[in-house]
Amino acid sequence: MSTIDPILWNDWHPVAETCTLLSGPPVETVLLGVPLVIAADADGAFHARRTDDVPLHQDERYGLVWVCLGTPERPVLAIPEADEPDRPAVTVGSIRVQTAGPRVIENFLDLGHLGYVHARYLGDDPHTQVLPYKVDALPEGGIIATGCKMFQPQASPAATEGFMVDYVYKVERPLATCLYKANPVHRDRFDVIFLFAQPVSEEESIAHPLLLCLPDGTTAADLRTFQQLIFMQDKPILENQVPKRLPLADGAELPIAADKSSVAYRRWLSKIGMTYGVIPAQARAA
Amino acid sequence: MILYDAHHVAPAYAVRLLAGFLGLPLELQGMDVYPGHDDRSDEFLALNPLGTLPVLVDGDTVFTDWQEILAHLALAHGPDWYPATDPALVGWLGIARDLAASAGAARLMQTFCVPGDLAEAKAQAERLLDEVERRMWFAERAGHGWLLAGTHPTIADIAAFVSIAPCEDGGLSLRDRPALRRWCDRVRFHPGFVPMSGVFPPMANT
Amino acid sequence: MTMVPGNWYAVAAEHDVPAGHIYRTALGGNDQAIRELAIWRASDGAVQVWEDRCPHRGVRFSLGEVVGDELRCQYHAWRFAKGGACTFIPAQPDMKVPGSIHAKAWPVAVSAGLIWTGVDPVGEPPVLGEGAAIRAVPVARPLAEVETALAQADLPGLALTLQPLGDTETIVRGLVANGDCAAADRALAALRRQLECVA
Ligand code: FES
Ligand SMILES: [Fe+2]
Repeated sequence: MSTIDPILWNDWHPVAETCTLLSGPPVETVLLGVPLVIAADADGAFHARRTDDVPLHQDERYGLVWVCLGTPERPVLAIPEADEPDRPAVTVGSIRVQTAGPRVIENFLDLGHLGYVHARYLGDDPHTQVLPYKVDALPEGGIIATGCKMFQPQASPAATEGFMVDYVYKVERPLATCLYKANPVHRDRFDVIFLFAQPVSEEESIAHPLLLCLPDGTTAADLRTFQQLIFMQDKPILENQVPKRLPLADGAELPIAADKSSVAYRRWLSKIGMTYGVIPAQARAA
Repeated sequence: MILYDAHHVAPAYAVRLLAGFLGLPLELQGMDVYPGHDDRSDEFLALNPLGTLPVLVDGDTVFTDWQEILAHLALAHGPDWYPATDPALVGWLGIARDLAASAGAARLMQTFCVPGDLAEAKAQAERLLDEVERRMWFAERAGHGWLLAGTHPTIADIAAFVSIAPCEDGGLSLRDRPALRRWCDRVRFHPGFVPMSGVFPPMANT
Repeated sequence: MTMVPGNWYAVAAEHDVPAGHIYRTALGGNDQAIRELAIWRASDGAVQVWEDRCPHRGVRFSLGEVVGDELRCQYHAWRFAKGGACTFIPAQPDMKVPGSIHAKAWPVAVSAGLIWTGVDPVGEPPVLGEGAAIRAVPVARPLAEVETALAQADLPGLALTLQPLGDTETIVRGLVANGDCAAADRALAALRRQLECVA
């Protein structure tokens, strides 16, 4: 029995990309402070184990190897779009960030930074106004933000001109989030981008972005490169947020109306009693 | 001119940065290095048997060393960037190569989980950063803004900048290296600057 | 012993903060807290010493940029004027910024070419005399150890003062009377090596 936050201990977390395992040596990583080794065997099957050989639960979905260290209460997050035949799942790699997982998820939900941190790609000064949007609770837990709109000069590799992009954001598990955004070619269908934050420790994470994009002439390599470029713009921001753990108390930081989804995310984490990688509302921020 | 390039590879960024300062158009050939390993493909290894990025193809000539590419572009298009009569240029380019092997390597380990000896890479980088900081502080007091004496930045500044400016991605810190932070600002504000993820462009006029 | 409320601490030299630059440092307190500082100049030259943390989402101000007479945070580009008041929030450009949103500004004194601050500092900063500001040397040892070593060292012509960065790191700052910063730097580098290899 671990004393670590049961919410994360009993949940599934991605720990490696299958494409990396197939083309390279075993991956050594850490999940919730527990060292792991993940390897592919000669038949292309994947094996994750703890270095202390305590058993764990393993699964493989969407090009990622998933691990649960405790007792899984539910399967790996279901992604219905992954079953649509014209959307190949493209993993973007394991990207390390020296901050708590919830900070990584919150940054993904953030609309106000697009025009600055991702200037000339996902937003641009002076088109940086965040128009009102709606945030609701999801019936199975988590939050959904709808009606988000942002002017984007280059929303994706296939975009040839700037346009107003419609977004929906979801957080279905504490360290899993996704967005739906209008595809520049199929403007009536949505590209789906997931971001999973693997909690290495309370203040270190590995981000695993996953793309489920519609065919628009962009290669998997281009999609990957673009997403890496975007995420690496966020890395220094995330690593310069103080404190590293996400403070959950209302008033610990100063949100405005544009931060509605971030406020809802923090409140939801408080409500479910998350303790790992956060500063709970009753504790005082350092 | 075709540049075989990956956005996050610091030596490739050095070439894009110099091209930006010189106003040179480059045709970028993007490579999926991580996790795609395009750099290990037969096609790429035929071009550069060492498998390193960047590679520049200029007419019939293929350049496979990043510092040689900087020298080539500067000699051909901006001799101010290549003070051939100053022996310090050689020393600084050597330090920049050592920085790429230490601070640059730490950054790749701390970004893409590239395996390696992080503690050793960081220890070596700390020694180099301390020394570059010391030299830069005295250069500033003597009225210079760049690594080499003189009023114009050189390819040495570019070669060192691409490892130093994003070094915090690798778990190093510039906090107690104030002269390096000011020098990074001077590079960022130099006309023609282009960013890389992890190095912010000046916001003032964006 | 680390930072004591009531005292002034030198945290930068004047030449560390040219127009348009944000200098980054820290003061480690006796309460274990490390107060990170961002130091910059308004266009009238007035030195601003702020807590290095944007009140919005906690990003270090030192990652941002001085734009005109304001400091702009790198994350969402909120702008803060001299004194610390937030003046503009681009995500909600039509909103009047509530007066409650401001950066935490620290007391500032400038004397002998050094920039001083502290928690509720009393009176004036200590008088170091005349001379040129030397290169600040960080030493990975607690302030008390550095202080003892300095008291025993033979460093003529140097007037020194210590800035605790935390429990185990200290910056040595000061003035050199004859202006020979290079000699002062060699002497302090030797002291640093001696202190750090004992560790
Ligand atoms: S964190 Fe500074 S503007 Fe948002
Ligand atoms: Fe972002």
